[in-house]
Amino acid sequence: MIELLERADPAVNVEVDKRSLRSRVDERVGLLPTVGPAAGRTRRPLLAAVGAIAAVAALVIGYTVFRDEPLVDGLPFLAAPSSELGNLPGIATVVPLRTGGVKTMAVDGVDIWVMEALHNTLTRVNANTGSIEATFPIDEYSEGIAVGAGFVWLLSYDEGGEVLRFDPAAGRVDRRIPINGEPAWGPVWFGDRLWVSNDRSELHEISPDGKVLAVSAGDVKGEGLGLLWVNDPETGLIHSIGPDGRQSEYVIPTHSGLDTADGWGVREVVEADSNLWLMDGGYPFGTDISRFDPGTGELRSFASLTFGLMDMTEYEGSLWVTSHTDHLLIRVDLATGEVNRYPLPGKAGGLAVVDGTLWVSLYHPGVLVGINQPANLIEAGEIVADDWNRYPHRLLCTGQQTDSTKPTIIMEPAGWIGYGQWSVVQAQLSAEGYVACVNGYVADNRPPDTQAADLEEALVDSGIDGPYVMLAAGDGVHAARLFADGRSDVVGAVFVDPIPIGFASFLDAELGFAEGEGHPPWLDIEQSVSASLSDFGDLPLVVIGHDLSTTFKSGSFVDAVGETTATAIDDYWQEGLDFYSALSTNSRRMVANNSNMDRVVWDQPALVELQVLSVIEESRSSARVR
Amino acid sequence: MGSTVGQTQAGARFDSLFEAHHTAVFRFCLRRLGPADAEDAAAEVFAVAWRRLDQVPEGEPARAWLLGVAYRVVGNQFRGRRRRWRIADRLRMERSGGWTITASDTQEGIVLEALEQLSGRDRELLRLSAWDGLSRGEIAQLIGIKENAVDQRLHRARSRLRSSFDQLQKEVAQVKPKEASS
Repeated sequence: MIELLERADPAVNVEVDKRSLRSRVDERVGLLPTVGPAAGRTRRPLLAAVGAIAAVAALVIGYTVFRDEPLVDGLPFLAAPSSELGNLPGIATVVPLRTGGVKTMAVDGVDIWVMEALHNTLTRVNANTGSIEATFPIDEYSEGIAVGAGFVWLLSYDEGGEVLRFDPAAGRVDRRIPINGEPAWGPVWFGDRLWVSNDRSELHEISPDGKVLAVSAGDVKGEGLGLLWVNDPETGLIHSIGPDGRQSEYVIPTHSGLDTADGWGVREVVEADSNLWLMDGGYPFGTDISRFDPGTGELRSFASLTFGLMDMTEYEGSLWVTSHTDHLLIRVDLATGEVNRYPLPGKAGGLAVVDGTLWVSLYHPGVLVGINQPANLIEAGEIVADDWNRYPHRLLCTGQQTDSTKPTIIMEPAGWIGYGQWSVVQAQLSAEGYVACVNGYVADNRPPDTQAADLEEALVDSGIDGPYVMLAAGDGVHAARLFADGRSDVVGAVFVDPIPIGFASFLDAELGFAEGEGHPPWLDIEQSVSASLSDFGDLPLVVIGHDLSTTFKSGSFVDAVGETTATAIDDYWQEGLDFYSALSTNSRRMVANNSNMDRVVWDQPALVELQVLSVIEESRSSARVR
Repeated sequence: MGSTVGQTQAGARFDSLFEAHHTAVFRFCLRRLGPADAEDAAAEVFAVAWRRLDQVPEGEPARAWLLGVAYRVVGNQFRGRRRRWRIADRLRMERSGGWTITASDTQEGIVLEALEQLSGRDRELLRLSAWDGLSRGEIAQLIGIKENAVDQRLHRARSRLRSSFDQLQKEVAQVKPKEASS
């Protein structure tokens, strides 16, 4: 058969047009930037040109990464009250903000300024105490923030795009500066002025008093080595601008040839270990970081980390990188190149270092977390099950099995929330000796049957044997059921806010979404598929629902959709919970008090842990686990 | 053929790399993207190699390194453009005009059709092994799994190919007599 397949190779007899291919290669290679100084110029290390700059530390997140992300269901009822998120090992401080709020932050001394874009609120957090010192209404959609000359500078997307100057003393926006288009990159406070690029790649230089001093071509990407780094959108080259505003003769080639097809190019430039680091791409595809010699522009090293890289900064001898897609904080040891991955309880965004603490902003849920003992963070091992077409299907596993009788806990996240929701309970269960694996790169929109098949393959390939306990949330229950179907090594299950079969299309119909505008079909499985799956028999099963008073029966939801619709949706949801509870003759149904839809794991992590442990205990007593 | 990347040591090495492996790289891309995009993808592979020349291993391992880059470039092409060279489609077109392929072609045609019916990962594994000539160790490195897992997956993929092939053969045997009589 294989010999026949070899003979059938459609390419084996195809002649290569060598001249044409070489010509294309040369064309591409010729387009690559000259590395180092231009011919005829004197080579001079960049560092020698660096002047002393009293720049205020500013964190650049730039661009509207989060803006296109739906507000979960695009409805206000999902805006949860602030919650006390359980602290993870290694995390010293958790500052709860509002759901979906953390977009950007900038540091001014011990103050962290956070623009909660979706709630039109500018928040000042004291990094020493972790307390919220003040909040200010910013009555427009704004993200992108910098601090300079005693002001907070914000990028507004209303009114066609403006820079806002916020005066902390007065507590209000006191200048509005049009920039001829929507903000796209920056802002960065550098030298004595603010730098911001609009969506036409026009780089604006703005004085402290709010005047546009100059406009030139370029996308500002960050500051490093005392220089401002700007991407030329035409050539793809990064060049530097000195504190005197003059361009350096050095250019850094944009290395990310594999990702330019996404149209993002270089996302960010930072300095670490006296080198320049470039992060490529953006959400969700940005994957790579590159280190360049600042003196010569020579590429020194390159690492492909994971999807959705958002920000990077140097901290305690390592480069720390956030992944929005994978909800990870990634450490790259600057000395050894070793890479470690730490799950975070949400979609990770910006990074900042204040007084020895590494601060990470998380989106959904909106919190800031302060890390001062990174060695204590729980590290996840990454198991890649499928790397086809660069959409890897992965398990992120924590813990080391210390007791062979302990089952492996498989965590299926809700597709629209992803990895991060499990990190709190994952850390705790790992600490108790369980191996806990979060399944799937969910942003790939893999349907549940593919998720389940990939999970099975990943477990086989990596030798992680059963018995398994399935812990699933939202639409993750579909994949969990598909995986568990007919298996004797699944010994228990906990379903958290399981989404009823057909709920997505039902909700779309109730809320009047046109086809294709509402919930994506991959959130669901067909009724016929569900009906084809076997029941759980007497498998220990716990179904935990959110506290209904906060969502479908809440005043804001009823106000938004009307009482009749709210009641219909609530009924459908209740019937769904009944359905799941009926899957096992050994089930119990619970409500997580003071928890919102999609937030049970964050709001009540101890409850979820307890139920997982009780299911394991029951399975043990019924001799499912020995 | 002159090099435009410079008359340097690096340029000479790159020339030699291109000379030795351009056919393998091109065919790798051709198998997955079809003639319209294969050359472009292969050129991208060598452009990446030029940028990372210091990372390209010396000697024969360079081939696997280049195919590893090609694997990702092809993945990008799939992702960005969603174009696939559907061998099965081509075969169906041929069939729509009647069974014009010869008896020996029929066997190869059926195995290609059987290959198309497999899952993407089975298909890719078989292609890497049978067409691109990669060893199990090279495949393991390429897709980031253990060598034992490659063995297991290959075994399963071959079994599924056989099963799919047998089924198709039966179908062909049923169709051909009818066509012959009509």
